[in-house]
Amino acid sequence: MNYPIWQLDAFGGGLFIAVIAIFHVYVSHFAVGGGLFLVLTEMKGLREGSAEILAYTRRHTKFFLLLTMVFGGLTGVGIWLTIALLSPAATSKLIHIFVFGWAVDWVFFLVEIISLLLYYYTFERLEPKKHLLLGWIYFISALMSLFVINGIIDFMLTPGEWLTDNNFWSGFFNPTFWPALFFRTFMALMIAGLFGFLTSVNIKDTTLRHNMVRYCGIWLLAPLVLLLASALWYKAALPAPQQEMIFLVAPEMKPFLGLFIWLSPLIFAGGLGMAILRPQNVQRPLAWLLLLLGFVQLGCFEFIREGGRRPYIIHDYMYSTSILKADLAETRKNGVLASARWIHNRTITPENRMEAGKELLNLLCLPCHSLGGPLNDILPVARRFSPAGMRSFLATMDTTSPYMPPFAGNREEMAVLADYLTTHLTQGTGDNPVRIRPETLVPAAFNGETDEYLILATTDMGMVLSSEPEFSGIDFSFAPPTLRAQVIERGEVPAVLGKEVQVSYRVKTDQETLTGTMTAAGSAFEATLPKMPAVSSDFRPYVLAEISASKNGRIIAATKLKIGISTTLGCRNCHGGPWRQEGKTGLSRETAANILAAHDQRSKTRLSRAFADGAIITCRDCHADSSRDSQGLSERLNLSAAIHGFHAAYIDHTDPNTNSCDFCHGNNPHGATGKLEDLHGGLGLDCANCHGTMTDHSISLLKEEKQARIPHGGKLLALIAPKASLPVQAIKGRSPWVMQPDCLTCHQDFRPPETDSAFNSWTQDRQGLYAHRHSMDGVLLCTSCHGAPHSLYPADNPHSKEAGNLQPLQYQKNHYPIGADQGCAVCHTVAMEEEMHHPGSLGTFRNRVE
Amino acid sequence: MNPASLIPAPDPLQVPWGWFQVLLSITFLLHLLVMNIMIGWSIIACVNHIFKLPRAEENQLISKKLPFTIAFAINFGVPPLLFLQVLYGHLMYTSSVLMAVFWLSIVLLLLLAYYGAYIYKLQFTRIPGLHSLLTSFIAILFLAIAFFFTNNTSLMVSPESWPRYFDEPNGLLVNFADPTLIPRYLHSVFASVAVGGLALGLYYDWKKRHGDLAADARIIPAMNWFSYATILNFGIGTWYFGGLPTTIRTVTGTASAFTLFFLLSGIGAAILSVIYGLQRRVRQTAFAALAAIICMVAVRELVRRQTLAPWFSTSELQVVPQYSPLLLFLAVFAAGLALVWYMIKLVRPAHNPATNPVDSEVQS
Repeated sequence: MNYPIWQLDAFGGGLFIAVIAIFHVYVSHFAVGGGLFLVLTEMKGLREGSAEILAYTRRHTKFFLLLTMVFGGLTGVGIWLTIALLSPAATSKLIHIFVFGWAVDWVFFLVEIISLLLYYYTFERLEPKKHLLLGWIYFISALMSLFVINGIIDFMLTPGEWLTDNNFWSGFFNPTFWPALFFRTFMALMIAGLFGFLTSVNIKDTTLRHNMVRYCGIWLLAPLVLLLASALWYKAALPAPQQEMIFLVAPEMKPFLGLFIWLSPLIFAGGLGMAILRPQNVQRPLAWLLLLLGFVQLGCFEFIREGGRRPYIIHDYMYSTSILKADLAETRKNGVLASARWIHNRTITPENRMEAGKELLNLLCLPCHSLGGPLNDILPVARRFSPAGMRSFLATMDTTSPYMPPFAGNREEMAVLADYLTTHLTQGTGDNPVRIRPETLVPAAFNGETDEYLILATTDMGMVLSSEPEFSGIDFSFAPPTLRAQVIERGEVPAVLGKEVQVSYRVKTDQETLTGTMTAAGSAFEATLPKMPAVSSDFRPYVLAEISASKNGRIIAATKLKIGISTTLGCRNCHGGPWRQEGKTGLSRETAANILAAHDQRSKTRLSRAFADGAIITCRDCHADSSRDSQGLSERLNLSAAIHGFHAAYIDHTDPNTNSCDFCHGNNPHGATGKLEDLHGGLGLDCANCHGTMTDHSISLLKEEKQARIPHGGKLLALIAPKASLPVQAIKGRSPWVMQPDCLTCHQDFRPPETDSAFNSWTQDRQGLYAHRHSMDGVLLCTSCHGAPHSLYPADNPHSKEAGNLQPLQYQKNHYPIGADQGCAVCHTVAMEEEMHHPGSLGTFRNRVE
Repeated sequence: MNPASLIPAPDPLQVPWGWFQVLLSITFLLHLLVMNIMIGWSIIACVNHIFKLPRAEENQLISKKLPFTIAFAINFGVPPLLFLQVLYGHLMYTSSVLMAVFWLSIVLLLLLAYYGAYIYKLQFTRIPGLHSLLTSFIAILFLAIAFFFTNNTSLMVSPESWPRYFDEPNGLLVNFADPTLIPRYLHSVFASVAVGGLALGLYYDWKKRHGDLAADARIIPAMNWFSYATILNFGIGTWYFGGLPTTIRTVTGTASAFTLFFLLSGIGAAILSVIYGLQRRVRQTAFAALAAIICMVAVRELVRRQTLAPWFSTSELQVVPQYSPLLLFLAVFAAGLALVWYMIKLVRPAHNPATNPVDSEVQS
């Protein structure tokens, strides 16, 4: 915000600091532990009267001096210069808060240099007592140097009381100061042993070499135990947020944590091996290997420590973007482009959107990410998203990926950055609007004058989603549709026929044909399709079914029925990958693989491996799906709660440019499936009017799971609760597929609605669902006259004006519900005067279409 | 674009700015002296080897001591860099980012030069054929580092050149728009050669006074280095001065008057040092040169303040008082100096010209 950004492209993402810091830290720890090693080794030589040991000490000192004073000293300055280039604001803070701490450290540095030079150059020329005194002065100054730097480094991780009192001493003696000091000291002693191996294995005299290698082994092994103990102390001293970040939240920490732990026994075994394996040609490579392992272990620790302060650079004070926590509200309000200093495009115009996007990238992404580099490369991440997906990610990244800071800009900047990342910097998964070519469908024939029978048929769902497991390799499709048909014998008092007739269906596409008979169930015939029908190669979001009724072997009635099936799943908005079919719809294996990889990472599963071996991953095997009577695993969230609950955190339901439900369910008006055809969509209502926002909807599902004590229900609930439009307590829990919005919430007593929100008023059981309910006379299914859920007449399917209204067109030559506008003649042969089916059923249909 | 809008907001101080200014000036002077010796010696050795001048003893001395001068030049560079960041960090971090590639490369260049100096020292007698190459390598690295420092200090006080960042955001800016950039750099380089020569002169003067009969002859070339480099610097200094803004060159206020005073005093001391230098009066030369350097450090500070006056003054810095860390530093500093003094006393009997361990180390 305050400073220009050094645009490093591939060399960004902390590459420079990682390279310089790890080498420096290793050598600088050697500079501390090695100092004590020199003194004690010289004392050993004197004690044993061994000129050889003293000669070895002198040779080791020369090596020590050339490595620590030259390389260690310079890389220390290098770190200073590097952090000032990469995070000048944070560096300025550290300099100004701890200026006299740094100055004290310099004094110790000066004493170190002088004492070390004198120690080396007065070997054998100064009486031992005085010479040793120089060595002790060196070691103590080096240790004090560590003491000072340790306070400043750990301040960044745990600033403690400094956050409130801004006192030098509070910041310096912060909560992890002492454990970190002990940890680093033991690490320094270990490293002294490792470097000791390196020089002692070159001793020519065999006896002396063995003696010194064993001696170095003690240096390595004794502190190793204490190191692990101090690591536990360090962990215990970490405040909860930092602990969670390291051990629970940040996924990339896990390999480093694992490596750090596993390297300890390896180094221990290596240390023992050095003592046991005597041949020099074994010891030499082993010494180098151990040195490398020590290097990796310290590198792991530093990476973990650095990661623990995320998303801050100074915990709870300054974000990694160098934006102060206290300034965030203001930048979110006014925008970062208006607040930052080194900005060319202060206002966004249609002409400068991408230039402004680049500046936002510089300010908000480049502090941590590289562009195509080996560390924290942003390109593969950006490539996975559509602009809308990226907008949602940016809006929610601080909760879903807590190692990232909150987006600091305003909503317009968020949109611009998302566009820049996914359309300019990379070609993300965004699509151009799909051009739909409407088709004309011909309803089945019906002669109102002569036909004695008719069929009113629908499905239990106006639109089902199919993940096409045979192609994608992952199955989270809705249950295959259930067809329902009522066969009516026309007359003065029409009769709904039952077992006296046989009803069959035939579903045909260019991919397959499904046929079967329907079973009488109450006043209707039912058949659940044996499988999800395959969509046609020329994608339409439906397949057509032909239903026919026969009596005594003679067909007495027939109709056509649209079965809505969408494969336009929006997973690739965030999970990347191409479309499977025609570049516009269908879940590809690549997208599925990314989903499973994310699942494996988050939930510690191994689905990717099975997927790669050719298995179809069926989500309901673990996550119960009541629409298919699948029990899943008892400790797992049900599928609906899991999918909605998890993704609610990631999806910004307040984004004015996106309907959060279309994000996944495929009813994006510009997509291959197109907008939801239901009558209510045409009236300006969307999913949230009945189901609640994505967040509220998810909370209702999660609450039920939490009450059932399913692990993770409460955790996800807590994550999304702040985004709810109602207090969480006020949202009623519900079971998926059973407890759904009730039409009568708005249409009280079947009257025109006085509200447009049906959220939070659920049906109590399956029989209460619209798809199962009957008219007041108990004869007709609601769906028989009004159409399937989400496909109510007059439906407006962008692929075909007729598709959603095949039966109204067949029986009434219009798009309206069966019997609308006093159209009783569809079934009745005489005019009706009583509203038998429901109040208002004899009225004129209100929502006219052109 | 108004460059003022680019200047970052500085962070508050713990004690008034004067403390830091004093600490900055004193520690910078120490750094400057050692750094000048370091660069000057590398150039002198390089010239000696390339032109095959008969200065074997002088070269060997430089080879022995150069790593130490690097160690102390770096160490003494830490506090002025620290205190500079406290007072001018918001400007310096910015200028460093603008030339980040060059700025960061300093670490690598210095590392190479440092190890190069150790090779020169430890392998002096084994690789005579590589002396020219090695010392050229070291001198070129030092000259490059010096140029990067000059460029940074120039950019730091030139916010008017900062908008160039928007065309060159990759950290490769060189402030050639500053007419003082080249003369300022050359002025520093020639001053280094002069101080390097003077340091040699002081060493041989000390040897002479301790009975080394050959030392007297070695004083002459050493003082020639000092005197002629300084004479050249009068010309370069005039070029440098001519490049400064008119507001600084004309006496318009108290600050300008101080600048003029220190400048004239510095020039006077420098003239005196050249006269002494040509007369081979080493210690008198050193005193006069030290006076000139002190004056020039003061001029440097005053010119920086005047150049920055339209943009920033250290007196604007907010102070949130907290004195205990300062007291701690002063106490540790005093104790550190005492300890250094004690250590030197501790080794003194072991360290005399007759049994000089450093000499015997190098010769072994």
